[in-house]
Amino acid sequence: MQQTSTKRSITFAALTATVALLAACGAPAAAPAPSPTAAPAATQAPAATEVPAATATPAKQATEFVTWYQYDEKNEDPKNDEAVGNAYLRESMPKFNAAFKDQFVWVNQPQQWQKMVTSLVTAVQAGGEVPDLMHTGASALPVFLKQGTVQDLTDWVKAQPWFADLDPSAVQACTGPDDRIYCVPLAEQPNVVFYWKDYFPNGFPKTADEFLKRAAELKQENVYAITYFGSTGFEGDAATRYFYSVIASFGGRYDDGQGNMKLNTPENIKAIEFMREIVQKGYSSDNVFLGDFKEENDLKGIDPNAPRAASFPTGSFGYRYIQPVKAPNGTQYGNDFDPTGGPMLEAIAAGDMAISAMFTGGGAAQPGCHIGLSSFVIPAGARNPDGAKAYINWLMDPANGVEWVQKPGGGLPVNQKLMQEKVFDTPFYKQAAAASAGLCKPWYGSLVRLPEAKQIIAATIFDLIKANPTADIAAALQRADDEYNRGNQ
Amino acid sequence: MMATYRAFAARKPAARIAANIAAIGVCFIMIFPVFSTLVLSFKQQADVIRTPPQLFPCDTPSEPFNIAACRFFIEGYQRIIDLQPNPQALLGTEVRGRIINTYLPNTIFYSVTGALMVTVLAGSAGYAFSRYEFRGKRVLLIGILAITGIPLLTNLLALYQIVVDLRKATGPLFDQLVANGALTRDTARLLRDWQDRITLVCIYAGFFLPLSIWIVKGFFDTIPHELEEAAFIDGASPAQALTRVIVPLAMPSLLAAFLLTFVGIWNEFIANYLIVGTSRQNLRSVIVGVYDLTGSNLINYQVLAAACVLVMLPVIVVFLAARHTFFQAMLEGAVKG
Amino acid sequence: MLRTRSRRGGFFARTLPFWLLFVPMLFIVCVQLYPGFYTFGLSLNSMVAGARKFVGLQNYSRFFGSSAFHESLVHTAVFLAGYVSLTLLASLAVVLVLNRKMKFSPLYITLIFIPWVLSDVIVGYVWKLFVDPGAGLLTPLFSLPIFGLNGQPLLIASPPAQLSPNVPFPPAPAMLYLIAAASWKALPFTSLLLLAALQTVPKELVESARIDGASSWSTFRLITLPLILPMILVALFNLTLSGMNGVGMVFSLTGGGPGTATMVLSYLLYSIGFTQIDFGQAAALSVFIFGINLILIVVSLRISRSRAELI
Repeated sequence: MQQTSTKRSITFAALTATVALLAACGAPAAAPAPSPTAAPAATQAPAATEVPAATATPAKQATEFVTWYQYDEKNEDPKNDEAVGNAYLRESMPKFNAAFKDQFVWVNQPQQWQKMVTSLVTAVQAGGEVPDLMHTGASALPVFLKQGTVQDLTDWVKAQPWFADLDPSAVQACTGPDDRIYCVPLAEQPNVVFYWKDYFPNGFPKTADEFLKRAAELKQENVYAITYFGSTGFEGDAATRYFYSVIASFGGRYDDGQGNMKLNTPENIKAIEFMREIVQKGYSSDNVFLGDFKEENDLKGIDPNAPRAASFPTGSFGYRYIQPVKAPNGTQYGNDFDPTGGPMLEAIAAGDMAISAMFTGGGAAQPGCHIGLSSFVIPAGARNPDGAKAYINWLMDPANGVEWVQKPGGGLPVNQKLMQEKVFDTPFYKQAAAASAGLCKPWYGSLVRLPEAKQIIAATIFDLIKANPTADIAAALQRADDEYNRGNQ
Repeated sequence: MMATYRAFAARKPAARIAANIAAIGVCFIMIFPVFSTLVLSFKQQADVIRTPPQLFPCDTPSEPFNIAACRFFIEGYQRIIDLQPNPQALLGTEVRGRIINTYLPNTIFYSVTGALMVTVLAGSAGYAFSRYEFRGKRVLLIGILAITGIPLLTNLLALYQIVVDLRKATGPLFDQLVANGALTRDTARLLRDWQDRITLVCIYAGFFLPLSIWIVKGFFDTIPHELEEAAFIDGASPAQALTRVIVPLAMPSLLAAFLLTFVGIWNEFIANYLIVGTSRQNLRSVIVGVYDLTGSNLINYQVLAAACVLVMLPVIVVFLAARHTFFQAMLEGAVKG
Repeated sequence: MLRTRSRRGGFFARTLPFWLLFVPMLFIVCVQLYPGFYTFGLSLNSMVAGARKFVGLQNYSRFFGSSAFHESLVHTAVFLAGYVSLTLLASLAVVLVLNRKMKFSPLYITLIFIPWVLSDVIVGYVWKLFVDPGAGLLTPLFSLPIFGLNGQPLLIASPPAQLSPNVPFPPAPAMLYLIAAASWKALPFTSLLLLAALQTVPKELVESARIDGASSWSTFRLITLPLILPMILVALFNLTLSGMNGVGMVFSLTGGGPGTATMVLSYLLYSIGFTQIDFGQAAALSVFIFGINLILIVVSLRISRSRAELI
């Protein structure tokens, strides 16, 4: 007994020593006061220590300005999915810090994109670390308003010189039911259809029937007519993408205008029957339901063994992620993941790929789509709202704003003055503007409990078109309506 | 299954071989996922997405397997660790990967501190339960036993609210101290961080304590009282008796409590994710870091695999080094707790 | 005898057990008991914008009537039935192999044990990589006709037609795969429990039964099984509790999908609380799960004689 316990004690001591060593190695990052040599490695205190000591900025006097982006300037991995945004932040942060020397120091805290909205809501409620500014879609607004997460910006925004230049419909999307403005829109990200011209030589079909006809022909060539985000992952984000584009293009919507969910309408049923047909007839591959953005691979056409798709309805910002791409005629754009986000834009400029609005169905007069809005909110309890406002003003200067709209914005500038800049005079921006002009509306209409609504809608439609293709559509939609509306009572 | 049982009873040599083969098969199933992840983490992208998939990237156009042709890369690890030259850092390079420079030290801190706390507290409570008779002892012991079954999950909402209430209680105080100039903003932030860290460790300690108390108490029960008595008769003070006699005797069970808690906290995900992971990014544990990584590296499985290996390896090593204590701990904990 | 000594000492020495127990009990009360009551209080309130409003039993009534809850009850039942029975049967098979003198037994036991020290989340990722449609090593296996997936990737494959639109049964392949992964992770611990019990079975008893001509099956059924039954029950309750409350693997392996096919109660709790940010309803669900846990614990304490005897 005594002997074994001594033996064990030795093992224990050895283990503890190992662990202590490990801990000591990790200490520079965790220690309260990092030693001078280890300072640059310390992400722990993102404050003044982060400013490279070499530039000798008098950082202590400047106030911190904290942002939440889905991008991480410290991630220099060129193959990271967010490499475009990461690289942008890395270049833009020193510029901002130089412009506001002695005044503000910009500190960014990266967040997972699909968790940002809930993270901010809980952080504000929970007295967590709240940023001064968060980059978000306007779709989050109902959630923020319900939970009292963001500041009313009306008076400040209206007093700014650039206010008159903003696209009124984008400002409207940032306006709450009380006619107050809660976010500042910078770029519009309409949902459009990217398609390979070789597969649609006569242009993208105008109606669902034409599309089905062409899809049958493409199937003969072993090409899937369409790919889309059909997974129920990412908190039900599918509800805002292809599902909504089809439903809106069939003249349908998700709500009754009074805050109730109303999926069970003749238009929606027709739209879902159409989506069912796409799956049943094999016009889209299984990748569309896999999640993790595997559906994008179909459009890329890089992997010779992977399925090949002809079109992809998604947000205009899709070009940042869908790369490199290879046209059906064999031209390849980009060799590896390109942190500038260029390959897809090149394909569009070369005329191999094009952008269109969705086709209409069920006799609807015009197609519909969801419009995402790349915008900024200032959370309640932000410590440095002045820094946030200075940053927004800084971005409204075309010298800084153009690049922002191109990279993290990933869409069309809301500031109409910017739209006249030369960089936006390219096929991509022109086609995206034409494909979405006056058609796109936020998906949620009058719904308010958006996280719940998204999950219910995505799961219901997924079930109807994939898991239970023989189930009664009207009954399932009615069940979804009842489930959501229970919470309204 | 029955064939093996018969083999056990009859002890035929053929049956022994069959049993060994069966055991090797089981071992293979249990090890293979870990092993294949290790191999995957050393592949290059082109071999990762090959169809049909291959376990080893060692095929040539002519042969299915040629050890000389193996294509192993460390790209996955490079991207996780992300070494960047920095003349100011130690050795001229710095680790930029958040998983390594922030989340791993966090996890080590949570695991080691939490496990030490549990060891001390379980030792103290286990000793009291084993050596003293008092009213309500039986009820308390059964209560603690029942609590070992309560998962962290159902308490999380409340624990989250408690952490929030604590933050709201101390937040204005820190703000005031910063306003007075008593603290700099950096110090205030560090204090806030440490408040959350310590709260989290305390939550872990409270969660893993009941099982450890049972393990330690059960072990104390097997140590004869006479050994301590003898120490007292020899004129030792209570402190001396504790450090020289009691702690060395109880060491195996204390080590068991330490290890079980260490592994438990190392692998804990949901509490860390919900309590600090969403709003205090720099306090995330390494598993939350891996979860986070998947949000922006959807295609590069070698990177995900490398991260998984980096998380798995330390605990596997700890387990292999202290496996005897582990087995003993789990059996004691399982049979008695 | 220790008592006599403590009576001799001062106040501190006399109350030593109290001081020894005070801090540990404080921890347990703060982390385990107080939150339980707190959650119950929360379940009677609704939280909007951080402010509480008393709503009585409204959270419960809304919740118990929701189809998401009914569905996830079925999913949880399916998961538990599969997980508990598969783990128990597999563990029993494993320990019957291991419970004989083999040269490499310690090595086997060590290797088999490795999954136990791994994290649920990481195990989820590892198993997800196995069935990735392109890179997964098991994908070619599962695309064999015998598995009936018709070429669909396993994690999104549809189950055979449901019994009725409201009843999510039979389970989706993703659910079965989740069960397999969870069982793989739980097998070591369960095996160890059973092995410990099996080693207490007197070998002479088994051997004399064999000499008397009993078949190996009847020896197992009549002698071994009754002796290890208490431990099987302990394992059964342990597994039910861990299966009921484990959420990490669902998180990384299926995310509750495809659709809602693997939306078990524990994941639903996370989803309602921290995705939909409805703390009142999440607390109501917590109380419900807590109730089930409590029943399981009480029953297992009553049944398991091996536990009670030790007190």
